[in-house]
Amino acid sequence: MPAWVKGAATDIDAAIAAAADLLGAARVPIIAGLNAEVSAIQAAFALAGRVGASLDTDGAAGTYAELGALSRVGAMTSTPAEVVGRADAVLVVGANPWKSDLVGRLVGSRPTRGRAAGAERSLLALGAAQDRATVSVSAEGGCLPALALLRAHLRGHLSDDSPVADLTQRLASARYVAVLYDPAEIGEMGVETVQGLAVDLNDKTRGFALAVPGPGVNQDRAVVPVSAWTTGQAPRVGLGRRVPEHDPWRFDAARQIAAGEADAALWIASVPAPRPSWLGRVPSVALVGEADPDAAEVVIAVGVPGRDVGGVLWNEARGALAYRPPQPGASAPADLPTAASVLGRLANRLAARSETAC
Amino acid sequence: MLSVIRGGRVVDPTASRDAVGDVWVQDGRVVEAPGREPDRVIDASGCVVMAGGVEVHSHIAGGNVITSRLLLPDLYVSEAAPEGHPFAHAGGAAAWIGSTYARMGYTTAVEPAMPPTHALATQLELADIPLLDRGALTVMGNDDHLLQLLRDGAGKAAVRDLVALNVATSRGLGVKCINAGGASAFKDGALKLSLDDEIPCYGLSTRKIMGALLDAVEEIGVPHPLHVHCNNLGLPGADDSFMATLDAAEGRRIHFAHAQFYAYGETDDGKGFRSAAERIARAIGDNPEATLDIGQVVFGQTVTVSLDILRQFAGRKGANPKKWVLNAGDAEGGGVVPFLYRPKGPTSSLQWAIGLEIMLLSPDPERTILTTDHPNGGPFTQYPRIIHLLMDKGEREREIAALPGIVGERSGLPGIAREYTLSEIAQLTRSGPAKLLGLTDRGHLRAGARADVAVYRDDPNRTAMFTAAKLVLKDGVPIVEDGEVVEWRAGRTLSLTVESDKAMEKRTDAYLTERFGAGLESFTVPDAAFDAPTFEAVPCQV
Repeated sequence: MPAWVKGAATDIDAAIAAAADLLGAARVPIIAGLNAEVSAIQAAFALAGRVGASLDTDGAAGTYAELGALSRVGAMTSTPAEVVGRADAVLVVGANPWKSDLVGRLVGSRPTRGRAAGAERSLLALGAAQDRATVSVSAEGGCLPALALLRAHLRGHLSDDSPVADLTQRLASARYVAVLYDPAEIGEMGVETVQGLAVDLNDKTRGFALAVPGPGVNQDRAVVPVSAWTTGQAPRVGLGRRVPEHDPWRFDAARQIAAGEADAALWIASVPAPRPSWLGRVPSVALVGEADPDAAEVVIAVGVPGRDVGGVLWNEARGALAYRPPQPGASAPADLPTAASVLGRLANRLAARSETAC
Repeated sequence: MLSVIRGGRVVDPTASRDAVGDVWVQDGRVVEAPGREPDRVIDASGCVVMAGGVEVHSHIAGGNVITSRLLLPDLYVSEAAPEGHPFAHAGGAAAWIGSTYARMGYTTAVEPAMPPTHALATQLELADIPLLDRGALTVMGNDDHLLQLLRDGAGKAAVRDLVALNVATSRGLGVKCINAGGASAFKDGALKLSLDDEIPCYGLSTRKIMGALLDAVEEIGVPHPLHVHCNNLGLPGADDSFMATLDAAEGRRIHFAHAQFYAYGETDDGKGFRSAAERIARAIGDNPEATLDIGQVVFGQTVTVSLDILRQFAGRKGANPKKWVLNAGDAEGGGVVPFLYRPKGPTSSLQWAIGLEIMLLSPDPERTILTTDHPNGGPFTQYPRIIHLLMDKGEREREIAALPGIVGERSGLPGIAREYTLSEIAQLTRSGPAKLLGLTDRGHLRAGARADVAVYRDDPNRTAMFTAAKLVLKDGVPIVEDGEVVEWRAGRTLSLTVESDKAMEKRTDAYLTERFGAGLESFTVPDAAFDAPTFEAVPCQV
């Protein structure tokens, strides 16, 4: 069972003991990454509750652009399958959504359900010229001013014969509009404006926004609901004062490390993810699906969910959590513990310490 | 271990029992007095002993509940955790839900709106609610697959098989329909829908969809009748929708969710509403196959969560604070609209009065069950206060005196003298909901019942009495003492045992793969997804 302490191979019991010593000695531990199956995310929250750690995720930029806008103005949203099945006009904001599988499904297909069924589907690009788009409208000043201009036209505040006016007309005359965006690309104000656009569209037709992920896959969309039902709050969350405190700025792991606030870190990536540059700048433990003995002071290899072990993961195509069984013939699954089981053993070892915490 | 709860006033209307006596418990069950000395004696003198409370309609898990927490991070207050559970005092969290219900003497709770496409997430969240047994109702009535079958005239057997497959796959405890066809119609441009309006693109109506689901539920033998959220919730004249829906049931079993929100008769000038509580209560009296839960309104800030996106879209303009979420999801999706029931506001006061009026006019409290449709009418934490108002006319009069005159002008509440007895409270909160869910092992204290028992200090301040039980047993184990959780344990999730038809599995797998790029297996709720045994089987009726 692969495990390392200070780069030297050891057995899992010794690695867990070393990890417990490391975390048990910390006054401000952080748990980060959480790029993992739901059972591991749950176990991470339980451990954080015991040791008073804060929790941060891997895909933070997009997650907080989305959550910030949601808590301030709300949202009007659809799902991938609904967009594929119903949309006769798809407005793609920015460059990143064009790289998604979803746009691949939308190009060259027609809606099959609802009042737009059978109609030709137009793909409208805002902010990035695209060969695959029916129409492209550039946005020299960035997506945000272009979106604002579009809203102004839609509301009748502006009227001219510009490409944006043409775009507005195409959206307003469609029967089901989907607005695709990557929150990490357009930022919190961009997300707010997209949501406002979707709301405005419903004065004339039906229109809904849908966030599509940019490059790189992460499990933030699994972390958010688990955090919400476990703590009543979205991530990032700190438990140092024995009460969940949601604060995306304060509990940013990179910021905490850079500011010298944290004195130990636990990095969890049973779903392989690039490790952060700050890992190792404080005493660190890494639970990882792709093990690098030098990644941290204590490294424990865990099963990759959906490959070595079963697990519940965010399914982007469905926009839902789904169980992924282990793949038959995967590499030595019997040897690899689940991240949740390692976290559970860590929590048990640290239980005595938390009971004496103030 | 043999225990006896000794000398309390035992209230069990199912056994016509309301007298000082003993309740014997062994191996997690209520037993007859065995004629030998107990291993443990629990002194209940001066106390009232009831079965554990059973909740039939409270939004405690699922996508809308998650969204409400993200939309309104400040709706609940979190306090420092007690020993034993790091999140028990995290306001609105799963552990807070479980412990708050348990402290009130409730031991079972049902989430009424689980979309089959998101069953796994809902079930994982439910499983994290400690202390209680849980269950969820599988929502159907807007999904394209079902509507296609109905449009194509596929026949009763096919609809039954699809409903059975959805219940089996999502591991539901029953079936619910929410403004059947309404979400689909909304996506195709509709803003209003009544029972016989055409659902665009399908040529169906709510009547046809609901009728098909009523039949399917009976054919499958689901113990809980179809749980129905009607058209036109909350609108003046919604009482007509309620009555039309009752007529459309044509004598089949039907449960009406949050009936208070339909007990709104239109005023003569057509601009407002007045109480239709008497009409609704009489209809329940006249139809023994019909039941309802109340959806009582309580004053204060809350958030409305509903899969009825047609109504939530219309209701967005009343959002307070002014932000809301509407997700036009794979079938229903969901709408989350914050709402303030203004203390002493005329509209909220009338809504408050109507809910109480339905219960106080009820000919059969077992069929008019107490809920607030948490959090839609207000939080479930207000049950003790509502019980107090039902049991104490003086307390009601004091509250009414502080409210605007509209309560007396447009409802009959001030003229009602009835005071609920403890037996009737037990019908409203124990035996009624347990019978409604078809759970014969709870809601009563007869021999063989699960030893879910609540012991309350008999206190004329019923709010205090029912807020913090003196003792709560779950499966015979004390989980609450003196209003505090003493043993953190996991309950079970109750799920119906339903056989699904192989041909329908194959057909559905093909449908789902075409639509979602993932087959039936992706929609399942396997035991392997849970870190401990979670589910308990509930059989269908034969």
